[in-house]
Amino acid sequence: MLDFLFTGWGAFWMTLFMLLPFAFIFFYVIHRKSVVDSGPSGSTDKKMSRLEGIWLTVVFVVFVGVNLASLKFMPTIASAHAATTRTDIQSIDLSAKSWAYELSSREIEAGRPVRFSGRSTDTMHGFAVYHPDGRMLFTMMLMPGLSKPTSLVHTFKEPGKYKVRCLEYCGVAHHAMQDELTIVKSN
Amino acid sequence: MSIASTIIQNTPIFGKMFTVDKSTGLEEINAWPALMIMASFVWLAVAGLLGFVMPATQIFDLDTGHFYTTLTLHGAALAFPFSFQLMMGVGLHRSGGCVGKAVTGVFPALAFITMNLGAALLTVAVLMGLKVSLIVMYPLPIVGAQMGIWSMNSVILGFTGIYLVLACMILCYPILVLKMLFFGTKRPELVLSERSLNDPGMLGMTLSALTLLIAGTPLVIVGTTVLFALYGIIPMTMAAWATEPVVFQYAFFIFAHNLMEAMALMVMSAMYATLPLYLADGTRKLFSNRIANAALWILLLTSVTSFLHHFITLYPNQPASLSYWGNIMSWGTGIGAALSIFTVLATVWQHGLRAEPGIIAVLAGFVLYILDGASAMVTSNIAWAFQLHGTMWQSGHTMTVIVAMSMMWMGVLYHHYPVITGRKLDPVLGVWFVRLFAVGGIGAALSMLAGGAAGMPRRFAAWNQEGWMIYGHLIWIFGLILGASFVVYAYSLLKSRDISSPVVRQVAAA
Repeated sequence: MLDFLFTGWGAFWMTLFMLLPFAFIFFYVIHRKSVVDSGPSGSTDKKMSRLEGIWLTVVFVVFVGVNLASLKFMPTIASAHAATTRTDIQSIDLSAKSWAYELSSREIEAGRPVRFSGRSTDTMHGFAVYHPDGRMLFTMMLMPGLSKPTSLVHTFKEPGKYKVRCLEYCGVAHHAMQDELTIVKSN
Repeated sequence: MSIASTIIQNTPIFGKMFTVDKSTGLEEINAWPALMIMASFVWLAVAGLLGFVMPATQIFDLDTGHFYTTLTLHGAALAFPFSFQLMMGVGLHRSGGCVGKAVTGVFPALAFITMNLGAALLTVAVLMGLKVSLIVMYPLPIVGAQMGIWSMNSVILGFTGIYLVLACMILCYPILVLKMLFFGTKRPELVLSERSLNDPGMLGMTLSALTLLIAGTPLVIVGTTVLFALYGIIPMTMAAWATEPVVFQYAFFIFAHNLMEAMALMVMSAMYATLPLYLADGTRKLFSNRIANAALWILLLTSVTSFLHHFITLYPNQPASLSYWGNIMSWGTGIGAALSIFTVLATVWQHGLRAEPGIIAVLAGFVLYILDGASAMVTSNIAWAFQLHGTMWQSGHTMTVIVAMSMMWMGVLYHHYPVITGRKLDPVLGVWFVRLFAVGGIGAALSMLAGGAAGMPRRFAAWNQEGWMIYGHLIWIFGLILGASFVVYAYSLLKSRDISSPVVRQVAAA
């Protein structure tokens, strides 16, 4: 139900959801009390304290609500869950070096979880996978010198060609560090 | 006459904007801050020009090397020698006037020299070929030299420059502020607006200086070790621990994240001090000092460890529990922001506001700061972080927080400028500055956030794919409007009038 909020443009709409009411009220108060009538409002401290309580309650409820709702969409939780409950996980090992990737496979079955395990052999790199419609599905940060790989489990839903891009600036040909995954229909 | 006053007097164009008033006997708190503010505007001119060129290289399909050169220089010039130095100048002027202590001696000179010499050395290194982006991206500088993309000399020069800038921000400036706040004798003739530590207008300055010093110390240790190894003072093997990317990255982000939070604490404090001076009924007090102080403390306590959100996508190398902690603490800063919003609005609602350009610029900057805060909280949530990290969303966040705080400081400067120079700024030009800055700042922020939501990568010299160029055009257009606001501000500084001359044109005319 909340897919729209935690995929694609959801982050942008959430930011506007938090910003627009604030911006409207802020502009109204500043305009009203500086241009329309800059005299004292006569609001009692008791009334203001009640308003403060209501405001903080609304903020707290929104903050807690959004973060609880996001749990289902956190790749860290999905990865941990898949690792303990699924046995049919595909595995792809990848290695990043300026400015290309080495992948153990570029073909993945749709509908079956796949674990990406990545390392960098020189500097910081990223491994970001893009849906064929252009939106980013997820990104991983690959840092050299770590004892274990950066890892994530993802389940591709639709077949197609998925672009891979490096999203950690890695030098003068950073933008050329791209690859492609092919997602095929499940057998 | 102070050395700082002499330098200002001998600087063409910019010197005319900040000539120090020597008739008031306040040169000891005016001169060094004025020099820092002047230098910050020189760097703003450089950063602005580069900010114009950066999207142009993409829109007109120019050489990608130019993009990465301007990217590195624009980010570095905007964040440190402009934004931080502006804060340093206005902040020191505030500190001096609040506690009645002179801003003179070795530390102001050291702070000024380390910041500007460091930024100049980094600039030279970038022109020599070092293209490392705003945040150094360690170990990229070393790897680039090993691959022959840039020379080791440029790495050493650039690292020296960055180190000097860090020394200014982590050591010179905080020590100077703390020295002024807690040591030395108060001189009544230098007191402009006395404040105690219970005052939110003072508390933020103290917390900010302590944050910079404490959060920056690990980076100073790591940076000093690497620098000594680069210069051959110690063998590279002794610096091996510090050259581990994970050590450098964590030390860097503990500081870099808290640098922004420290600057936020400082500017919120300045806003709490300035707002009451413009209340219509002349009460000169906030709705509640208690709530304002609580907001600063919550911001401090939550932000210190929220830097962990920078490494969410490193999972499982950063344990998920630390990522959840970073997520929760980042949203916790929003509670502090909510208290600040309430304090500002309740104060204005109860007492009315004299809408002068300075305070309106501060409040417009505050709106932009809240927009940035919302975008930062969203990208700190683990679910969204995996879709936004490394995209233009992050660049939008970084740019917006710097622009928002700069706007607030430029607004506060309206209040300090007459004390420093004995001249006042044209209110009509001030209104135009605020209008252009608000449109340019909010427009550029939303364009970059939209680009990030669409998957457009940051620090990426290939905008012309997946339909991303539309965001590039929007960023460029709103960036030009933002640039125009700076030109208006600079023009108003050039055209400032003697404090005793009547204001012919009124704000209402605008």
